[in-house]
Amino acid sequence: MSAGRQPAVVGQAGAIIEARGVVKSFGQTPALRGATLSAAQGEVLAVMGPSGSGKSTLLHCLAGILVPDEGEVWFAGSRLDTRSEAERSVLRRDRFGFVFQSGQLVPELTAEENVALPLLWSGTRRGPALARARAWLGRLGLDGLERRRSGELSGGQAQRVALARGLVARPDIIFADEPTGSLDSVSGEHVMSLLTDAARQEGTTVILVTHEARVAAYAARRVIVRDGTVTALDAVAP
Amino acid sequence: MIGLGLRLAISGGREAVIRLVVLTAAVGLGTGLLLIAVSGINAVNSQNDRYAWFLTGNPGVPSGFVNPHPGSREGTTPEISGSTSAYPLWWLLRDDVFDGQVIYRVDVAVTGPSSPVPPGIPRDPGPGQYYASPALAALLKATPASELGDRYPGHLAGTIGGAALPSPDSLVIIVGDTAAQLGQAPGAVRATSISATPPSGCSGDSCVLGLGIDAKGLDLVLPVVALAMLVPVLVFITTATRLSAARREQRFAAMRLTGAVPRQISVIAAIESTVAAAGGMAAGFGIFFGLRGPLAAIPFTGEPFFPGDLSLRLPDILIVAIGVPAAAAVAARLALHRVHISPLGVTRRVTLEPPGAWRVLPLLAGLAELGFWVMRGVPKAIPGQVQALLPGFALVMAGLVLAGPWLTMAGARIMALRTSRAPTLIAARRLADNPRAAFRAVSGLVLALFITTVAAVTISTQDAKDGTTQVGGATASNILVDMNQGSFTRAAGYEVHPALGAAPPATLLARLREIHGAGAALVLYADPGLTLPGTGKINRHRERDQAGLVSCAQLAKIPALGRCPAGTAVAVVDTNIGDTDLATTTWPAAHVSAQRLDSLGALGIFVATNGSTRAVEQARTRLETAYPDASGPATFAEASIHASWRDVMYRQLADVVILVSLPVAGCTLAASIAAGLADRKRPFSMMRLAGAPLGGLQRVVALESAVPLLAVAAVAIGTGFGVSAMYATMQLAHPLVAPDASYYLLTAAGIVVSLGIIAATFPLLRRITGPEVARNE
Repeated sequence: MSAGRQPAVVGQAGAIIEARGVVKSFGQTPALRGATLSAAQGEVLAVMGPSGSGKSTLLHCLAGILVPDEGEVWFAGSRLDTRSEAERSVLRRDRFGFVFQSGQLVPELTAEENVALPLLWSGTRRGPALARARAWLGRLGLDGLERRRSGELSGGQAQRVALARGLVARPDIIFADEPTGSLDSVSGEHVMSLLTDAARQEGTTVILVTHEARVAAYAARRVIVRDGTVTALDAVAP
Repeated sequence: MIGLGLRLAISGGREAVIRLVVLTAAVGLGTGLLLIAVSGINAVNSQNDRYAWFLTGNPGVPSGFVNPHPGSREGTTPEISGSTSAYPLWWLLRDDVFDGQVIYRVDVAVTGPSSPVPPGIPRDPGPGQYYASPALAALLKATPASELGDRYPGHLAGTIGGAALPSPDSLVIIVGDTAAQLGQAPGAVRATSISATPPSGCSGDSCVLGLGIDAKGLDLVLPVVALAMLVPVLVFITTATRLSAARREQRFAAMRLTGAVPRQISVIAAIESTVAAAGGMAAGFGIFFGLRGPLAAIPFTGEPFFPGDLSLRLPDILIVAIGVPAAAAVAARLALHRVHISPLGVTRRVTLEPPGAWRVLPLLAGLAELGFWVMRGVPKAIPGQVQALLPGFALVMAGLVLAGPWLTMAGARIMALRTSRAPTLIAARRLADNPRAAFRAVSGLVLALFITTVAAVTISTQDAKDGTTQVGGATASNILVDMNQGSFTRAAGYEVHPALGAAPPATLLARLREIHGAGAALVLYADPGLTLPGTGKINRHRERDQAGLVSCAQLAKIPALGRCPAGTAVAVVDTNIGDTDLATTTWPAAHVSAQRLDSLGALGIFVATNGSTRAVEQARTRLETAYPDASGPATFAEASIHASWRDVMYRQLADVVILVSLPVAGCTLAASIAAGLADRKRPFSMMRLAGAPLGGLQRVVALESAVPLLAVAAVAIGTGFGVSAMYATMQLAHPLVAPDASYYLLTAAGIVVSLGIIAATFPLLRRITGPEVARNE
C-alpha cells in the first residue's frame, strides 16, 4: 500500500474482498449460483472459466457494478452490496481500478488526460493530476506518447494507458476483465507483466478475469467458475 | 438489393424498428415544423391579401387614379375610377377603437342599383343599417350602447363574412349612409370598384395606413423572417437523419464481412434513410394538419389567422414530399463517404482539419464596413444607403455562420487548457475536436438571434426617437379628439378640415364631465393665424397643425397635460411633441385673450379620465356621436401604439422567430446528443462503470451542448447589438435604445426551453451507459 492511503481493513479471514454465496440471474438465466470467493490484500487472483460461466458477472458483483440477488459482498470489512449506487460509484472511483479488454479510453482526450481522469473525477487539481499521469505513463514505458489520442496508439499502447489509468489513483484493488483479450501474445504478456509488477510494488490486489491459461499464469492463485459456482483450481508460486 | 434494404429497414428486428421509429419521429417533427413555418409565411401573405378591400378608393393602388369630385370641397373627396360601375359607391374608411382594439369602420352610400358591394356582405347597407363582423357583433351585444353601440347609427343588418376579414377576431363594421350626407364627409371618396390590391401592392405615401404589410415588409422583412425560421428547422432535419448512424455503420461493416460490396451498402443505407424520411414526411404532414387549428389561433402577427390561411401551396407540398426523402437519401450517401466501412469495422476516412482563423475575416470585414459608414456617414439617397449597408449586414450574417466553428474551437481549447474538472475537460476536448459538428447544431440559431436582436433593438431605438412609446401614466388615459389624428385619412393624402368646427357647445362639455371616471374637458382651439413661438418643444417632429390654444384655467384642471406660465390666460399646446413628458411641460404663453377663444373654432377636445374602460369608452362614444365626421378619438397611449403599429407587428414576428428557433435549436442539440451518445456509448459506459458519477457524465453532455448554445447566443446577440448601435448612429441619428423586457424574457425563456430539451436526453444517458449495458457490449 502506498503512502497517503489508509490501509484497507481486512476481513475476518484476512480477505480484503469477499463474495459469500452470491446468486445473480439475468431474467430467467442464472449467472451465479452461490459463488464464494475472497482475495487477500496484495494478492493476484485469476478467475478463469469458459465463456458464459459467470466469471465476469462475479467480477462485476465484487466491484459493486452489479448487486447480487442473494449473498453478500464484503470489502475492507464492511458490506458493499448493501450500499447505494452513489456510494458504490465513489468506492469504484476511489478504491478500485479497472482494466478492460478495449474501448475504455475517451477518444477525444490525450493519453495523459485519460490517465488523469480518475484523479480529476476525485477533485484533484489539473496540474498535480497530469503530473501523476505522466509519471505513470513513464513507468509503463509510454514516454513521449502523453499527447497522443487513443486513435494514435497501438492496441498494446492503449492498453498500457488504460493500465496507467487503473493504477493512477492508487486503488486497493484492480479489476481486470480480459485485459489482454484484444492484444497479440507479445503485447499481452508485456501488459500482464507491467500490471502484476506495478500491483506488487503498490501492494494492490488484482482480480484478473481471463480464459487464457497463459495470462492466468501471472496470478498467485487461480479459481475457476463453472455453472455459476467457484472452485479453487490451484495455487501457483508468485 | 432494394428488397433486402426494405426488409432490413422494416423487419430487421427490434433494434431496426426502434431506429426506424426514432428517425421517423425526428424527421416527422422537423418536417412538421418546416410545414408550419412555410404555411405561416403563406398565412401572413393571405392575411395581407384580406386587407385589399380596405384600400378601396386609395390613390396608391395601381388600378385607379384620383380625380377631385366636382361636387365636394376641393381636394377632399377625390373620385376613384378604374373599373366598372356606373353608380359609384361613396366610401369612407376610418379607424375606431374599443378597449385598445382597433375597429375598422367603413361608411358607404350607394349612388345607384349597381354600386360596388364590399366582400363579405350580400348588398350595401342602406341608411340606418350596418353590417358587423362576428366579433364586433358579439361585442356590440355584450357592451352597453353608451360605450360602443351609440357610435353606429341604425341597426345590425347582418354579419360580415370571413372573406372580408383579415382575422376571425377582426372588428369591422360597414355602416350605411345617404350619398348626400356621406358625400359631405371629409375624406369620403367615390369608388367605382372595390380594391383587390393588397397593401403590398400599394405604392406612394398614401399607403402608410397601418393596414397589413406593405411591399417593403413583404419583400424584405418576411424573407428574413423565413430565413431565420427555416434554417434552424432544416439543420434539425439534417441532424435527425444522422441519428443511429454509428450503430448503422457497424451493421454495415458486418454486412461487408459477409460479402456485401460498397455499392450495395450505399443502396441499403439510402433505402433505410429514405424509408424513415418518407415516414417522417408523412408524420410531419400529420403534425402540421393536427396543429394547424391551435396554431392559427395564436396571434403571431398581432391577430390570429383563419385556419385555412395556414395553407400549403402545391409547390410547397411537392418540395417537402419529394425533397425530404430525397435529401435523406443523399445525406445517407454523403455520410457514408466520410467513413470507410470495411469488413473489419468502421473507420473515419480522414481526420478533420481544424477550422482556420481566416473564418473570422468576413465577420470582421462586415463590422469594419459598417464602422466605415458610421465614421464617414451614409449616403443621403436611399439606393446609396442600401448599397452601403446591405453588403455589411450580409457579410456580418455570413461571417457569423462562417466564424462559428473557429470561435467554438478557440473557446473550447481555452476551456480545455484551463479546467481541472473532468466533465469540462471531456466536453471541451470533444468540442475542440469537431467544432463544425458542434456548431452545426446551433448555426441556424445564430442567424435567428442576430436578426431578431437587430430587429428588436432597431425598433426600440426608432420608437424612442419617435417618442411613440413614452406616453404613460395619467397622460395616457386622457382622450384626445382631433380630426388630424385620423391616421387613415391623414395617410391617404387627403386634405381634411383643420378643425372640428365651432367651439363645442357647453352641453357637450358638461355631458363629458358627467361621465363617471372623467374629470375635466379641455378644448384645443384652432387659430389660423397662430405663430409658433420659438423652436423649443413645439412641433419638433411633426406638423404644426397639431398646435392650438388652450385656456389656462381649463388646463389647470388637467395637470397631466402640462401647465401654463404663471399669470398666463392662454397658452399654445402641441399634442405631437414626441418623447416629451406632457405633465412636466410648461407651454409657451399665447398673446391671445381668453375671451377671444370662444370666437375660434375647435381643433380638438381633451377629456381627462381615470383610464377605466368604461370611462374612456363612454367619453369616446359621446365625442364620436357629437362629431361623427371627425376621426376616431384616441388616448395618447392608443395613438402611440397606432403610430408604431408596424413596429409592433415586426416585433411580434421577431418574438415568433425567437420562440421557434431556440426550441428548434434545442431539438437539434438533443438529436446531436442522442447521436453522439450512441457514438460514445462504450467509453461513457466504461467511465461510469469505473466510478465516474452519472451527474458528471450528464455535465459532460450538458456542457457539450449548452456551451455552444449559450456561446452562440451571446455572440449573435452581442453582434446584433453592435450592428444595431452602428445602424442607429448612421441611420437614425439616435443613441441605441435597448429593447424592452419582453425581448430579454423571450430570449431567456427560449434558452431555458432549449436547455430543458437538452436535459430531456439525460434519461437516455442513464439508460445507455448503465453497467448492465456496458458488460454486454
